[in-house]
Amino acid sequence: MHDAFIAPDVPVIVQGMTGRAGRTHTLGMRAYGTNIVGGTSPRDEDVGGLPVFRSCAAAVAATGALASVAIVPPLAVLPAIVEAIDAGIKTVVTITEGMPIHDAVAARRTVARAGARWIGASTPGMAIPGRMKLGFLPNVSLSPGNLGVMAKSGTLSYEVCHRLVARGFGQSLWVGVGGDPVKGTRFADMLPFYAADPATHALVIVGEIGGDEEEALGAAMLAQGFTKPVYALIAGQAAREGVTMGHAGALIHGNVGTVATKTAALTAAGARVFTRIQDLIEAVAAG
Amino acid sequence: MLLEHDAKELLAERGLPVPRGELLRAGQTPAVPAPAVVKVQVPIGGRGKAGGIRMARTPEAVVAALANLTGMTIKGHVVRACRVEATVDFVAEAYLSFTLDAGPGNIRVMMSASGGIEIEDATDDLLGESVDAELDTVRAAVDRLAARLPESLRAPLRDAGHQLAAAFFDFEAVLLEINPLFVAADGSWTIGDTKLSVDENAFPRQPRLQRVIEANADLYPEAALKLEQGFDFVRLDDNGDIGLVTTGAGLSMQLIDELLARGRRPYNFCDIRTGQFRGDPARLIKVLEWIAAGPSIRSVLINFFAGHTDLGEIARLLIAALAAVPQLQVPVTARFIGNGLEKARAIVAEAGDPIAIETDLERAIDLAIQRADARENADA
Repeated sequence: MHDAFIAPDVPVIVQGMTGRAGRTHTLGMRAYGTNIVGGTSPRDEDVGGLPVFRSCAAAVAATGALASVAIVPPLAVLPAIVEAIDAGIKTVVTITEGMPIHDAVAARRTVARAGARWIGASTPGMAIPGRMKLGFLPNVSLSPGNLGVMAKSGTLSYEVCHRLVARGFGQSLWVGVGGDPVKGTRFADMLPFYAADPATHALVIVGEIGGDEEEALGAAMLAQGFTKPVYALIAGQAAREGVTMGHAGALIHGNVGTVATKTAALTAAGARVFTRIQDLIEAVAAG
Repeated sequence: MLLEHDAKELLAERGLPVPRGELLRAGQTPAVPAPAVVKVQVPIGGRGKAGGIRMARTPEAVVAALANLTGMTIKGHVVRACRVEATVDFVAEAYLSFTLDAGPGNIRVMMSASGGIEIEDATDDLLGESVDAELDTVRAAVDRLAARLPESLRAPLRDAGHQLAAAFFDFEAVLLEINPLFVAADGSWTIGDTKLSVDENAFPRQPRLQRVIEANADLYPEAALKLEQGFDFVRLDDNGDIGLVTTGAGLSMQLIDELLARGRRPYNFCDIRTGQFRGDPARLIKVLEWIAAGPSIRSVLINFFAGHTDLGEIARLLIAALAAVPQLQVPVTARFIGNGLEKARAIVAEAGDPIAIETDLERAIDLAIQRADARENADA
């Protein structure tokens, strides 16, 4: 199934490889086993001896890269996505915080037209634990196992997976979808992959208030007859309407996007929903 | 979400018809003549139902309404200012909105012949289309929807829809709602009430919107703070007794939920973004100062899950920050996990253990609570 979503040995380039964060995460990904084949930058600076190219087109032509991780400033994310897709990249991961929402709308359209995949706008990335990661999910929380993980929040998913790993439960495929209102890959988009994957025995969903992604996931579970156990955590019970707490997507308007609407939709589809981390951990451990 | 007053001023600057109005704080003198409507300026819908909108027929009534409304709390938001606005003559109240439909990344255009009420209650005659996020496409949807309205409303809604669609794109809005949209006997239209939600991420290329926040920083405390400081801090409960120094939006929100589930009152939300410290304790000092200003603070809980940041460096900055905020005289508990934990322990020990370190979050929460209780008992 990994191959259906992404091949563990897919050749990867890093856009913005020679910047401070670019360098750190490039070396971190390579050390974890990701097949990093080069990167782009306006400057020829050495990053672990990897080839540096001026453009995605040049990088793809020379390396055959099919995936890219873009580590560029907020207003440069959309151009980076467009450049990668035009060069033939099939999976783009963007990790930058602060991409404008209307840029994300344009990026979605570009990616969809090319039949490609985008994980972002702002996400710690994804991982097939023990094989590869695109982005910077922390190694201390990664471990091969049978849980499919999807998360809107990086830090909260680190915490949840760290506790699960300590109890012996690792992940089959972990996708950080990000906390942005408009994004490349939503919870429901991933459901068919997890359904078809024999290595995934259950799902752990790290959600939060705002938007309708959890509601859409519940609807997709019902429509697709998803039968694997689903454990969901939803953060933000204390949020006030009209006040953003960190994630632009975590904003309540009227009665839309509340813990109550998300819990109702997921529960109706057979998921178990928790408001405390440890309750979710114990439920997963109890099977 | 921008306050109604600011949204209306922005739309008026584009030449759109908005009733004359002004933003007033308690004690300020209205220039708009009575009769007038006095409306609380808080970033939420349903202000009328919540008692935040008053009709005032005389100048005295305007002053009285202003005095009554400022200071009240609506859905957790303290009213710091009101918009006093001239009344409008109309024969019909319509509804018009543009929403970014986040799932597909489309724009949803909605229209109704019966505006002026909570639109959730009026779904029967609410017309809508979700279309590609292009101005021409959205305007074509406006034309199609307007054609389904009663004849007297078609021209005004088409005209309003075309102009507001352009405003939606120019402001990079997430939501632009006009409810009610007043239509007069002669077919002219006026913006009755409006909601405009904008994207803070777009501020670097939307200087006009950024100036709105900066001009009334006291009315947008969270957004103004984020603009000025580059991180999030939200005061949740003025009498909360546990101050939080945390990083990561989701985990920070969750920590608040965990404290509330234990029946506690967290003082604040904070996403300090440790990755942006760059060796400077300034951000930590700011947050500790704000927490120290809380009248009921009895305990501080720090939570740093260091995926990449070095906890040794964080500990060094924390010790420096605590020294710079001597007015903070409560126990400090830190949950540290990740890179450099042993170095962090050594640095804290060398400083005389001003921070109790835990590696397990549940234990850290329990300890911070116990220490708050011990403090309360000692104070009593």
